[in-house]
Amino acid sequence: MEDRTYYSIDPRGKLRCVKCGVSLVKGGARFLYLDNGFPVELPVCPKCGFVYVPEELALGKVLAVEKALEDK
Amino acid sequence: MQIEERGSTHVYRQIKMLTEEQLVQRESRCVHGQPAYCIAACPLKLDVKALLRAVAGGDLDGARKLYDRIAPFPGILSAGCGAPCEAACKLGELGDSVSIRDIERAVTRFGARRRGTMLRMKKKKTVALFGSGRFALFLAGELHKKAYPLTVFCAEADAAAFLNAAADGVPADLREIDLRLLLEMDIRFVFQSALDRAQLDAQRAAYDLVCLSPACYRTLWPDGEADPALLYDPAHGVVAGLDGGVLDAAFAAKRAARTVDRLAQGLDPAGARGAEGAVETHLYTNTDDITRTARVPCDGAYDRDGASSEAKRCIQCECDECIRGCAYLRHYRKSPRVLTREIYNNVGIIMGDHMMNKPINACALCGQCTVTCPNGYDMAEICQLARKNMVATDKMPLAPHEFALLDMLFSNNEAFLCRPQPGFETCRYVFFPGCQAAAVAPGTVRAAYLDLCTRLSGGVGLILGCCGVIADWAGRDALYDQTRALLDRSLARLGDPIIIAGCPTCAKALAAHPGADVVGVWSLLCEIGLPEGTHAPERPLALHDACGARGDAATQAAIRMLAARLGCRIEETEYSGDRSPCCGYGGLAAYANREVAAEMTQSCLARSDAPYLTYCMACRDRFARAGRESRHILELIYGAAADEAPDISQKRDNRRALKRALLRELWQEEQTEMKLDFEVLYTDDARRMMDARMILTEDVAAVLQDMRETGEAIFDGESGLTIARKRIGNTTFWVKFTREGDAVYRVHSAYSHRMNVVRRQS
Repeated sequence: MEDRTYYSIDPRGKLRCVKCGVSLVKGGARFLYLDNGFPVELPVCPKCGFVYVPEELALGKVLAVEKALEDK
Repeated sequence: MQIEERGSTHVYRQIKMLTEEQLVQRESRCVHGQPAYCIAACPLKLDVKALLRAVAGGDLDGARKLYDRIAPFPGILSAGCGAPCEAACKLGELGDSVSIRDIERAVTRFGARRRGTMLRMKKKKTVALFGSGRFALFLAGELHKKAYPLTVFCAEADAAAFLNAAADGVPADLREIDLRLLLEMDIRFVFQSALDRAQLDAQRAAYDLVCLSPACYRTLWPDGEADPALLYDPAHGVVAGLDGGVLDAAFAAKRAARTVDRLAQGLDPAGARGAEGAVETHLYTNTDDITRTARVPCDGAYDRDGASSEAKRCIQCECDECIRGCAYLRHYRKSPRVLTREIYNNVGIIMGDHMMNKPINACALCGQCTVTCPNGYDMAEICQLARKNMVATDKMPLAPHEFALLDMLFSNNEAFLCRPQPGFETCRYVFFPGCQAAAVAPGTVRAAYLDLCTRLSGGVGLILGCCGVIADWAGRDALYDQTRALLDRSLARLGDPIIIAGCPTCAKALAAHPGADVVGVWSLLCEIGLPEGTHAPERPLALHDACGARGDAATQAAIRMLAARLGCRIEETEYSGDRSPCCGYGGLAAYANREVAAEMTQSCLARSDAPYLTYCMACRDRFARAGRESRHILELIYGAAADEAPDISQKRDNRRALKRALLRELWQEEQTEMKLDFEVLYTDDARRMMDARMILTEDVAAVLQDMRETGEAIFDGESGLTIARKRIGNTTFWVKFTREGDAVYRVHSAYSHRMNVVRRQS
């Protein structure tokens, strides 16, 4: 069920996939943790599917959700 | 090496941590919530502590409010109270107790009475009270407070006379205060009553309940046998008072009013009355630091300032013996009793947020509270039980402990070494320095081992590894058992030698192995003497006892003896010996809750400004990392000072290098060193950041290696940095770097997350 996107981040053309040589685009991704899943939109490579998790996101929202789930 | 992450958050399993009886038995050891001696002694349950606190702070109005709660006529009560609180006052043991009754008088005189602003509905049941005197007056006050429509039949001619009948010997000004209160009360008086059987019989039908003063009751029923606790005579259906002093009368009036309440509701007056009167208290108050003071002279009556000065003498009795010594309990601002109940409830939560996981994992399990508590409360047992329970029910997140557990696995795999002394098949001894010694001070471990090999006969084997306490602290029994099995096999290979432990915590853990014979390296050095060429530091050192040596007087004494032989000048601190706090490493607090662990370290360091002498390498390392000069006693003995404070990656490198160097030097074994085919440089910021974020250089190397093989990376045009990632075990590591040559990378930043991220087709 892909009814809701919890987080969205736009690469705005500044990020490029080194392997494929193309710009990352906003694309669908899913965070999985302790049997919970969250659909999000992150910068992804349209060719190889590399999903980029920016530092601020990893240390901010992702960490907060991890901690919340760990104490469930 | 990988440790399995907990499973689904949607699986709901539960095992009881303790039975209800076991819980109550543990909780009852904590006397923090017990009433102060003065409060427990007061049958009226006056919050004496709060009253004195208010007066000490100059808030006589607040104090009056507290006093009015228990005393409808504060003038008469404060004038004539027998003051059992003063007799129970802890200061009385040192000399003068606090003059509580004189302070109460000042509160009555100078504290403003707060009038009730709410209109209270009168109750439906009506009460007739016959007679006068203390009991009758106090009961009238109590029944007024409970909003009963009350009629007082008395022989006196007016309200002042009714009050005076209860105010024998009460100073005029206090009497005046109480008269004003009486006149404000909504009480109907029938003055100049005959108070005989005829009047009683005539009035009885008009009221739901009848109360009598003691004198009235005796006159009407000389043989009446009213229950002395309930003040009720069921044979005649009346509530009847008792003779006695002012406090007796006030307390009897309270009980009588409760009986009226029960009767008015058609209930048995003996039922559901709760604890009435003075209670026993099990409070403990340490008066060691209390200096004896004399009462502030009263000269008949205190003025405001005099009362305030006298109230300031109150030491506000409470038991905080454990909290004073423990940064963890201070951090959570909870007594062990409260914490235990909350942890117990947390473990019982089947579905929902477990708010106490952090406190459970933040305890150092060091056992200090068990020593400082007058009743030996064991908070470590509670937290340890909770951790094991969480692991057993799959509710323990791996995140707080994973780094430490992986570090243990590293110590017992890649960095593990077990060898007999060269030239021996089996050994009389084996040196077990402990994982932190090899990580923090590898040079000292080498020097100590070579010295022991030289000076002991029968062969000294060497085991470099972890004793398993890390798994035990994490509550993971299976992993702990695996470690024990590894060590048992290793010891058997060496011929089950006497273990020379270099760490007090290892010594304890190893002593639990069946048949193990463990001696601390400190005790052995006391026996065989110091090696040659030691020299004492010039400055005095503050001795920090290891929490692993709590209850181990022999180890504590051996360290002091060694320090003395070295010529050290030792400074003892307030919390030393068995009372020593944990440095923050114990119980994996440093991994699970850095904030609390840092407070533990600071709490240790606050005891002295001198450099610290330790005999646990974890303490030595944490003190050094907090910026305080510190030395392990083995570093002083062997003169091989460690690096100031190796970071987490250096600690691993140190263990690898020590193993490789000893294998080459003593056993002529060459270990192939894993070499990268590229070079990694770090900015200073990156290295600091990695240490704080628990990211190892080997994690970064693995990411870059993967990137070199797959070509997967992205380039951020804004920062000019290339970014690669790799999932290692339960964590995804990201590395931001620049390329400085064909096979040279400079790392600018690294971060990680535990969530797995996958592409989603939208």
